[in-house]
Amino acid sequence: MASSYRLTCLFVDLKTATSRRVVLGEDVSMARLGGRGIGVHFLAAAPTIAPLHEDNPLVFATGPLVGSRIPSSGRMVISSFSPLTNTVCTSVTGGDFAYGMRKAGIDVIHLSGKAPVRSVVFIEDDRVSMEKDPFPDDVGLELVFERLSSPGRSTAAIGEAAIKGCLYSSIMVDGCFASGRGGLGLVMASKNVRAVSIRGSGPSRRIPVDEHEEDRARSDIVRLFDASPFVRGRSGIAASGTAALIDLVAERRMMPTANFRRTYFEGYRAFSANAFARTFSPRRHACRGCPIACKGKAAGPIPEYETIAHFGALNENDDIASIVEANRLCNSLGMDTISAASTIACLAEIRGVRFQGEGLVSMVRRIVHAGTSGELLRQGSLRMARALGAPETSMSVKGLELPAYDPRGAYGMAIAYATSTRGGCHLRAYPIASEILRKPVATDRFTFSGKARMVKIAEDLCTAVDTIGACRFALIAASLEEYARGVSAVTGIPLGQHDLMRRGEEVYSLEISINAARGFTSEDDTLPERFFREAGTPGPGFETPAIDKVSFEQALERYRRIRASCGAAALSTAESPCTTR
Amino acid sequence: MHDQIEKYLSKLVGHGLVEGPQDACLYALDDELFSNRPQVPKAVRALFDRLNINGLIVAKPEETRWSIMRRLAETGGNPVTPSDSESVTFLHDIPVVGSLHSEDLFEVLARRKGCIVEDAGVVATGTVCLEQAFVTFSSICFATFVKYFADLIGKPGDSCALTGRTREDRAKALKALETARPKGRPAGLADEIPSDEAGIVSAMDRAGKEMVRLGLVDSFFGNISIRTGGSISISQTGASLDELQGCIDRACMDGSSSCEITSSSELFSHVRIYELTGARVILHGHPRCAVILSLAEGPIPFGETRYVLGVPVVSGEVGAGSRGIVHTLPAAMEGSLEAIVAGHGVFAASRSSVREAFERLLSVENRCYEECARRIKAIDERRQP
Repeated sequence: MASSYRLTCLFVDLKTATSRRVVLGEDVSMARLGGRGIGVHFLAAAPTIAPLHEDNPLVFATGPLVGSRIPSSGRMVISSFSPLTNTVCTSVTGGDFAYGMRKAGIDVIHLSGKAPVRSVVFIEDDRVSMEKDPFPDDVGLELVFERLSSPGRSTAAIGEAAIKGCLYSSIMVDGCFASGRGGLGLVMASKNVRAVSIRGSGPSRRIPVDEHEEDRARSDIVRLFDASPFVRGRSGIAASGTAALIDLVAERRMMPTANFRRTYFEGYRAFSANAFARTFSPRRHACRGCPIACKGKAAGPIPEYETIAHFGALNENDDIASIVEANRLCNSLGMDTISAASTIACLAEIRGVRFQGEGLVSMVRRIVHAGTSGELLRQGSLRMARALGAPETSMSVKGLELPAYDPRGAYGMAIAYATSTRGGCHLRAYPIASEILRKPVATDRFTFSGKARMVKIAEDLCTAVDTIGACRFALIAASLEEYARGVSAVTGIPLGQHDLMRRGEEVYSLEISINAARGFTSEDDTLPERFFREAGTPGPGFETPAIDKVSFEQALERYRRIRASCGAAALSTAESPCTTR
Repeated sequence: MHDQIEKYLSKLVGHGLVEGPQDACLYALDDELFSNRPQVPKAVRALFDRLNINGLIVAKPEETRWSIMRRLAETGGNPVTPSDSESVTFLHDIPVVGSLHSEDLFEVLARRKGCIVEDAGVVATGTVCLEQAFVTFSSICFATFVKYFADLIGKPGDSCALTGRTREDRAKALKALETARPKGRPAGLADEIPSDEAGIVSAMDRAGKEMVRLGLVDSFFGNISIRTGGSISISQTGASLDELQGCIDRACMDGSSSCEITSSSELFSHVRIYELTGARVILHGHPRCAVILSLAEGPIPFGETRYVLGVPVVSGEVGAGSRGIVHTLPAAMEGSLEAIVAGHGVFAASRSSVREAFERLLSVENRCYEECARRIKAIDERRQP
C-alpha cells in the first residue's frame, strides 16, 4: 500500500476575514492523523494562552476515516482551551459537519482572531465568507439551525448561554449534536462567531487505498457490533439509546443522587429506557455512517444517559417530562447538560432545597435569563459553591462537573476522573467499559489493583479513537485492532492497534504537558472529599463504601510513575502555517 | 497482581491448556512487572516496552495441542485462519512467528491479540488485564484444535496436507481427538428447576463448573440460563462458566429492564427458545467434537437446517444481528430441545431439570466424538489396498 497522507487545513483569521488553505506536512499529518491529535497539536503552539484571548485557536478536525465505509467513524473533534477549567479541552461531536468538511476537501478548520462584529462564517469549498449574525442574542438555536439549513449544509452554532457568558456553554451541531463539555461555546462567542456553516461540492466518499481491506475491516466491525449485548442486544443502545445504562447503573448502586450524597435513586424507573419507550415511542436516529443509531428522537431529541441521570437522580427528580424539557432547553440555549444539572444540584444542596419538575426546568432557564443568581449559576458549580462559602459541595474535578458514574462504584473511574486532562470527564478513559459493561473483559470494580496502568492504556486508547474520528461506543463492541485495519486500508499507512495507541499516548502526554504549562500540578488530580468520607448506597449483597484515600493516592502515584516512564511531551511542536506548502 | 497471576496459571494448568506451571510464563504490568518467574527475559521486556499492554502470557501449550499447532503452522499457511465463529468474530486469524526474538513478533502483536511462536508456544496479550491474555490463549488453543480436525475430516483426500500424512499420523490424531472426549459424568446437578434466587444461582454455578470440568466449554465461552416466570437468570457476557457466582443477570422475558446489556450476547436467542419450546433451562457449550463435525460438514446456507446424527444444525453469527442465530436457532430447538450451531457450539434445553439439559448436551458431544473418530478411521479404511 502506498501512503501519502497529508491533512488539509483551512486557517481562518476572523479579524481580517481572510483564510488560507494549507496542506500540512506529511510528518505532522502521519504523526497526528487528525481529530484530537491535530487539535491538541495546534494547542501546543500556544500552551499558556488565556481561553478567551482572541488568539486562542478554536480547531475543528475530522479523522482519517470520515467518508470511508468503516462504521461509526464520522465524528468531529473541537479543540481549544476551556474557560471553565482552563485546561486543554477537546470535545467530540456527531452530526454532518465532518462530512461537510470532507466534501469541501478540508480535514481541519483553524479559527483564530476575533471578528469585528458577531458573524456567521460560511465555508463553501474553497470560499470563506463572513456575514453579520442576523440573529438576536436571545434566539433559540432551533431557529438558527432552521435558517442556516439547506441541502448538504452542516452548521455548528452557539446559543444564548454563550452570549451571556456561561462558562459551560456548548457548541451545537446540526441541532441536536453537542460539543458539550468545557465551555467551548464561550470560546466561539469570544471570537464573535455565532456559527460556522459548511457545504462542499466534492464527494463525501473517501476512496480507500485498499478497498478489499476496507470491506474486511467493515465486516469484522459490524460482526462485533452484532455480537455486543451493549450495542446490538435487545436492550442495547441501538434499541434504547444510551438510556439503556439507567437500569444497570442504578442496580450497581453508582447513580449519583442528590448531588452525590447517595448512589441510588429509588425513582429511577420513571426515567429508564423502558419509560422513555413507553412515554415517547422514539424513533432511532444516527450520525451519518453509523449503523448503531444510538440517538432517539420523538417530538424532540431524547436525552442521553448522562443528561437523564443528572436531571433525574442527581436532582432527585422523577418527572420524565421535565428531564426532556430541561434537555431541550439546554440544546436550545447551547449549554452543557451535565454541568448545568450538576450546578443546579449543587445549589440545591447549599440551599437545602430540591429542584424538581417544573422547578428544575425553571432553574435551567434561570441559568441564562436571571440576573445576579443566574450570573452565579453561569460560572459552574465550583465558582458558585466557593462564592456561596460551600466549595465542598461542588462535585467537580479541575472545575469540570462529574458525570453520572459515581466513582465509589468503579475505582478505575475514580482514577480516570482525577487524571483526566479536561477535568471530571468519563470519556477520557471510560473504564466503565470493563468495570461495568464487562468489555473487552470484566474487571473488579471495587479494587485499585492493576487499575493505574489500565487507566493509562485506556486514556491512550480513547485519545487514539478521538484522533481517528471513531465513536467511543463502537469501541466497546469492536476494538482498535479492527479500526487500525480500517485506517490502514483507507489511508495506506500500515498501522496496527499499538501504532495508534502510541499516537494516542503521545497526544495524551502532550495534553498533560500543556496543562502543566498552564499551572496544573498533581495536586489537581484528585476527587471531591465527599467520596473519601461518605459511603454510597449499599446494594443487594454488597456495600458501596467510601473510597479509601490512601489506596486511591497510591494508585495515582503508580499512574504518575507509569506516565513518567513514557517521557514528557515537548511543547511548541505545532507546525507553523508558514512552514507548510 | 500476584493473585491474578496465580489465578490464571492455575486455570491454564487446570483446563489442560499447558502441561504444568513450568510451561507457562505470565506477566502483569502496573507500575512494576509481576510474574511467576524470577527473571524476565529481554524479549519479554522488549514486548512491554514497545506494546501498550499490561498482560502477557508466553506458554507452551499441552503437547497434543502444541503438536497440532505446529502441524497447522507447517501446512496451513500463515496466518492460520480458523473458521469457527468465535475465531472469525474475535481473533480473525492467528499469525505464526518463528521466534520470540524475532522482529516480526512486534509487528504481529501490534495487529493481533496473540500468535503462535514456533520456538516458544503461544504468545497472548492483554490491554486491560491478564484475563484478556488468558482468553486469547485459550481461544487460540480451541480454534487450532477444531480447525485441525475439521480439515482432517472435512477435506479427505490428497488435497489436504493433513490427510496426506502417514497412518501413524492419523493414529496420533485419533489419540489427540480422545483428549476432547468428555470425561466422566456430571455430578451434583439439580434434578429440578429451582425457583428461588439462591437455588437458581447454585444450580447455574454447579452446571457451569461441570461443563468446564467435562470439557464441554472453554471457561470463557458458552452461557447458561434458567427461566422462572417472566424473568430469566442468565450468565453475564464474558463470564467464566466455572466462576458464575456474582456473574448472573436477572433479565425480563419482555425486555422491560435494560440491566440485560451485560447479559450473554445470546440472551435474545434464549428468550426466543423459551418462548417457542416452553423450556425452563438452557445450556450452551462449545464442545469441540460438535464444532468439528459441524465445520467438517461444510457451510450451511443461512436459514436452512441440516441434520447430523439426528441433531439439527443451523448457521448464524453470534448475537442478534440480521444474520444472528436468533433467527435460526430457536426454531431448530423446537422439536428436540437440542441443536448445533455450525462452527459455534451446542444448545441444549429442558422443561424439567438442569440435569436433563446437561445430559442432552453431553449426549450430543459424545455422539459427535464417536462420529469424528469413525470418520478418521474411515480415511484409513478407504485407503486399504
